[in-house]
This record gives sequence, C-alpha cells and structure tokens, in this order.
Amino acid sequence: MNATTSPVNQYFKALQLDETDHSLSQELLQNCGIEIERCLECGKCSGGCSNAHIFDFTPRKIVQMIKVGDEERLLHMDALWCCVACQLCVDRCPSGIDIARIMDYLRERAVARGIPATRPTVELFHNLMLDQVHKIGRVSELYLILNYNLKSGQYLNNAELGPQMFIKGKLNPFPARVKKMDKVRRLFHKKPGQKGEVK
Amino acid sequence: MGIHKEQSTLVIGGGAAGIEAARILGQAGYPVVLVEKSNWLGGVLNQLASSFPRWEDPAQFVEPRVKELEKCAAVKVLLESVVSGCQKTENGYRVQIKNNHGAVEELQAGAVIIATGFDLMDLSGYGEYGHGAFPNVLNSLEFEAVLKEWSAGQKPQKAPVVAFFKCVGSRDRAKGYPYCSKICCMYTAKQAGLVKDLLPDAKSYVFYMDYRASGKEYEEFVRSVIEDKHVRYVRGRPAKVLPEDGRLLIRCEDTLMGVPVEVRADYIVLAAAIRPSQGTAEMAEMFGLHTDPYGFIEPEPFEPVKVQERVFLAGSCGFAVETLGALQQGAAAAAQAMAVLNQAD
Amino acid sequence: MNVAYFPGCSLHSMAHEYDLSTRLVCKHLNINLKEIEDWNCCGATAAHSVDHALAVGLSARNLSIVQQMNLDRVTAVCAGCFNRLKTASHEIRNNPRMQADVKEMLQTEAPVKPEVQHLLQLLVEETGLDAIGQKVVKPLKGLRLAAYYGCLLTRPRQIVEFDDAEQPVSLDNLLRTLGAETVTWGHKAECCGGGYAASDTGIVLDLGGQVLKSARQAGAEAIVVACPMCQSNLDMRQKAMGLNFRMPIIYFTQLMGLALGYKAGQLGINKLFNSPIPLLKSKGLA
Repeated sequence: MNATTSPVNQYFKALQLDETDHSLSQELLQNCGIEIERCLECGKCSGGCSNAHIFDFTPRKIVQMIKVGDEERLLHMDALWCCVACQLCVDRCPSGIDIARIMDYLRERAVARGIPATRPTVELFHNLMLDQVHKIGRVSELYLILNYNLKSGQYLNNAELGPQMFIKGKLNPFPARVKKMDKVRRLFHKKPGQKGEVK
Repeated sequence: MGIHKEQSTLVIGGGAAGIEAARILGQAGYPVVLVEKSNWLGGVLNQLASSFPRWEDPAQFVEPRVKELEKCAAVKVLLESVVSGCQKTENGYRVQIKNNHGAVEELQAGAVIIATGFDLMDLSGYGEYGHGAFPNVLNSLEFEAVLKEWSAGQKPQKAPVVAFFKCVGSRDRAKGYPYCSKICCMYTAKQAGLVKDLLPDAKSYVFYMDYRASGKEYEEFVRSVIEDKHVRYVRGRPAKVLPEDGRLLIRCEDTLMGVPVEVRADYIVLAAAIRPSQGTAEMAEMFGLHTDPYGFIEPEPFEPVKVQERVFLAGSCGFAVETLGALQQGAAAAAQAMAVLNQAD
Repeated sequence: MNVAYFPGCSLHSMAHEYDLSTRLVCKHLNINLKEIEDWNCCGATAAHSVDHALAVGLSARNLSIVQQMNLDRVTAVCAGCFNRLKTASHEIRNNPRMQADVKEMLQTEAPVKPEVQHLLQLLVEETGLDAIGQKVVKPLKGLRLAAYYGCLLTRPRQIVEFDDAEQPVSLDNLLRTLGAETVTWGHKAECCGGGYAASDTGIVLDLGGQVLKSARQAGAEAIVVACPMCQSNLDMRQKAMGLNFRMPIIYFTQLMGLALGYKAGQLGINKLFNSPIPLLKSKGLA
C-alpha cells in the first residue's frame, strides 16, 4: 500500500466534477419522481432526523452523495440499516424531497447487489417477517420473535418480556392465515432475502 | 399642455414609501392626500429598534419627515382612514375615504400611489418551531418589540441565549413560498448584533442557509456583526424546537461540519416570509390591479413602478424591499405621478 | 356508518386489548366495523424497506377487497398500517405506472375508490367531538395526559392529510372532550423507534426513552397512544431504558371506553404492562 492507494488518501482524493455519474439521479427521477436538484442543501432533514446522531452519513449528505454520483458509498452505508422511516425528513424538507423513499430505494438496490447489511439482524428480521407473509399472509409475533431469536443466535433476546406477555394473554400461538394465499403470493416478484437484480 | 396641479394625488399607506412619495409631491406643490389606517405615520419603521447598515434610530428619520409633511401646505394627511371605494373616471379615480368614525369623504384623484406594505407570514404551518405553542418563540417583528424594551432599559436578569432562524416560509416550496424575502438576512444580522450590544453577556446564534448582503455597506455590516460583535453563524436550517426545562432545545445540522448540533435558547426569533399586507390585497382588488401568484402588485412590463394608467406602486406591496428601496420607489412613484398629471391633453 | 376495518397483525395478538376496546367503542358510537375479509399483512416496515412493489401490492390487495365489499372507506387503528394503506392508495391514484402494475398483480382493477382514515381521524372528522361528548357518562376528570401521535399518524402531510404534522391537536381535543387534561410537550409527534424493537433494540431504548422523559417532564401522568407499535415500545421497556417512574401507556380507545361507561376489565386495561389501574383508581375512574 502506498500513499496513492491507501484508503485515507482515496477518501480525500479530489472529486472530478465532470466525471460525475448521474445515473442514480436519473433513476430516482424516473422511478420515484424525485428531483434531486431541488435540494437546497439546507440541512433541515439532518437536523430533525431521529437517528442522525448514529448515522454514518446524515440525510443531507446522503442527498449530496447522490448529486455527486457516489453510489458505492451509498449502498454500503450503515444509515440504510438504522433509518426508522419516520418521515420527519420528508415532511420538513422545503423542497419536498422524499428522502425516506431514497433510503428504501438504495436499500433495495444494496440487497439486490448482494451487499451485506451492516446490521445483519435488521435485514434478518425484515426477511423473516416477509417469509411469514409469504407463507400465511399474516405475521404471528410469537413465531416471528422465536424464529428471529433462533436464527440470529440471540436466544434470550427480549426473553425477560416473555412471561409477562404470556400471563397477560398477549401471545397468540394460533395465528389466523389468509385463505387465498395464491393471491398474496402473486404480489411477491422475488422471494424474501433473494439476491440479484429483478426486473 | 396644461399643468394639472390642481388634481390631487392619492397616496395609500403612510409607511416609508408613502411618506416619501407624499413629501416629494408636496415639495413640488402638487396636492397630495395621504391616507393611513393607523393613527401614526412611519409604518413598520416605528416598530424598529435600529436599522441597517448604519445602526441608525428609525425615529430620527421618521420624526423630521412627519413634521415636514405637517408643515407642507399641499399635503393633507388623513390618519385612521381607509379607502372604502373607488370608481374609474375620465381623468383618474373618484375615491371614498372612510375614517374610524364612519365619516366618508370623496376625492377626485388624478394619480394613485399604492404604498400599503407587507405583513409577516402566518407561522401556524411551522409547528416544528412552536410559534404559538411554546413561549418565547417570536417572529422578527415581535422580537423587535423585545429589543425596544431592552433598549429602554427593561433588560432580563439573566443574559439570554437568542437564536435566529432565517428563511422561515421563504425559499420553501413545500409549505411556504419559493421566493427569497430579501431583507431578512440583513435585519437578522442587525437584531443579532443589537442583542450583543444591549446585553454583552448574551449569546446570539444565527441559523442560515446563506446570508444575502447585496447592497451598499451590507457585506461589511454582516461581517462586523460576526467578527466584531461575535454573533455565531451556523449553517443549517433548524429542524425542530423542543421545550425543555423552561428553555427551548434546538435541533439542527451544522452542514459545513456535517454533524447534528443542539443548543438551548431562551428566545427563538423566526424571520417569517414577507407577504403582501391585507391592505395590499384589498387595494389590488378595489382598483383591479394585476398581482403575481403571491399577491404582490405587479407593475407593467419594463415599468419600475407603474401598475396601470394613473396607478403606481411603492414599497413592499410590490415585493419585499428594505427602507432605502422603499424610499427610492416612493420618489419614483411621485415623479411618475407628476408626469401623468402633466401629460398632454 | 359502515366502515371497512383493517385490524393489522398485532391486534390479533400483542395488541388484543386495542382491538377489544376499538370494537366496543365503535359499536357504542354506531360505527359499524366490517373486518376486511381475508385481509393480509400490510407489510409494515419490512416490505417497504426491501421491496417497494410488494409493499404497494400488499396494501393494494386489502384496498381492493374493500372496494369489492362495496365500502367507500377503510379504517385502521395502527398508525403503521394506516400509513402503509394511505401511502399505497396515494401512489396507486397518482402514479399511472404503479396503477398498471397493481392491476397486473391483483388481476383486477386498481383500487382507487376507498378512502383510508385512521380511526382517530374518522372519529374527529366524521363522528365529531360533539357527538362523542354527548355520550360521555364518566368524564376523565383529573387525569393529566400526554397525547402521543408518533411519527406516522400525521406525516408526510401531503399523503396523510390529517391534522397538523408537527403540532397535532386531534387526540388532545378528543381527550379533552372526554374530560381529561392534556399537557403541552415537545415529543408529541416524534418517533418512538418503530419496528426496531427486536432487531436493534438500542434504537427503541434511545428514541422511546426520549419520548417518555419528555412526557414526564411536561407533567403527564400517562401517555395516550394510537398505535400498537408505539404502545409496546413505550410500555414494555421502561426498565431497560433506566426509567423507574412506571408511566402507563394507554390506548386512546381504552380511555374512550372508560369515559363512555365501560369497565376497565372490558377494555383490556389490565393487559398493559405499566398498569394504569392505580392511577385511574386514584382519580375515581376505575
């Protein structure tokens, strides 16, 4: 490793503006109706973001990275996996940019590209939930939690809540299922957790 | 060519622009009737604790002008009066002017100057800042009153932290107006600097996207507020105000550092967007004037102040403008009025 | 009034008491809830997070059943389910490409007709607070409550079209109609941490903790919620958040039930973790 290839220097290498890749901005416009140039760079999104204090890149920076075409960094962000989708950024943005939708779009792209989630438990939970929906059309919280604990190796996660929940009749071991499951399965054009781009 | 000096000019609105128009016309001996709905002249200037870019006291400007108008024979000032009706006539407008006792007088005006000014935007759509919900969240004019109190000696016991938010409602296509209200960067710098002058132990923060200081001595003014008076400018549009232990917690991003920031303030001052005043809307309707989509009165293409035949605008009723601009427009409108009153038959 | 009812997955298990109290209250107010036949999960956070088309499809199927039931309106009591249904409805109505995709997925016309309203919205906008006030037999006098809307009930405003996004008042007004007092507080519409309860609990402990502290600081004796996710996040983890003031987190329909004359037991109030019973007893309300 020498000065020009060390990661630190890579990070601080000057951005070549006329080499900017606009394809991601174009896609967001065509697929989501988002006009990234409307961003005023005011930072109101970041200022109110519920989890900005734990994000590796704040919402405004995320939009800025789209403007400069830094798709690689965007798809590897930890922010993708701890965004709570609270919509505070969307509602407060003076240009009405749907940042929550951008996060969803990037996350879906990252999954399709096989980029592992920086928080694997989060991705696991989403997939297990959608698995249940694929199987029975509804989610049984009891089975979801048990399954999640098993698969994530966090066998005692939330276990302290179990007894109280049981006593109070909050655990329903007999979830109803959707009858017309064929109709529900039609809605899945890819299986939960499936990698690879799907058209 | 006859010089129709006997035809009156009606000036509607007694703020900076209206006073200037009336003054110039009066000096030239043209009869002017200046109609003002409140019982004082000077408009918003009377609410201001100071001015930019020279920190002058607006009262020092308004008082001599008002005396001049009182002394001028050609000028008739009608306070606590409004224009209640108008009809277009062959050479001008016949208007009805109603005072607060209900008495109506008629006037035949050969030229009309609309100088009805602005209001600040209603901030109920900005719940994230808590105006109307939490105490001590004020718009800029409300804070000007606080500055006047402090200037008069009624200072707070403990040195406060004052935070100024710019662009509240301006440059906001989602729930405000797309335009820039032009004067807020300058008056915010003035307010923030004045806080430090009056209360040296106080802290002033200005939260900005940009600061726009395009005028003579404007940039130097803002730099001196930052560098000499030590007002702290933070680049970021605040996202939320949360009440906490009697103070106001501000959540924002410092966009230049790229990190979330927080500060607890005692006062929050919101630079609300400049809107055409209620009076502007009323006069626009009454005289059938062309307005833009936001209600500001539109002059004819390539005309600086002429709205339609015999009608001219001056001041913020045409768009946000600072005192100097209002005076310039007032003078321009007066000149145009004189021109129309002298036109060939 | 006949309204399609989307309970959502948690109302059949963890939030059973929310379903109970909702049905009781609606019946009392002549709102005829017709549970959507064979409804499927709305997809919650999981679907929109990793599969946008699926998220829209899941809600679209539910909306299309409503349309087939010949009902013009569907209500949900979970803010998450409500937001998903409403967002899907908005996208189907305004995005021709999505409308075509939905038609293809459902093999039937795209469900553009049904209106989507959270029950709180329906009660305030359709039933009206006056009508509700008239039926109050046991005013909740002396109760000082923090009305908690969470993030999804009122946002994004162009899609949800309900109340004010940042300083909402509908739940406050409802609670006052029921005779209670509400506090002014900053976190009324901030996020509780949403669906991260199991997969990244630290986020819920952080955000939910902030909400609880803010309500406590404002002098609230209990927090009133309109979402099972918010309820469980705020109720079940107070100890883990290091908070020992045992703040009750009550569903708004349970309080409505009390005010309309039902007993705490009928409304499942005993199922809440931090029991409101001592508080209610101290005010003579239980």
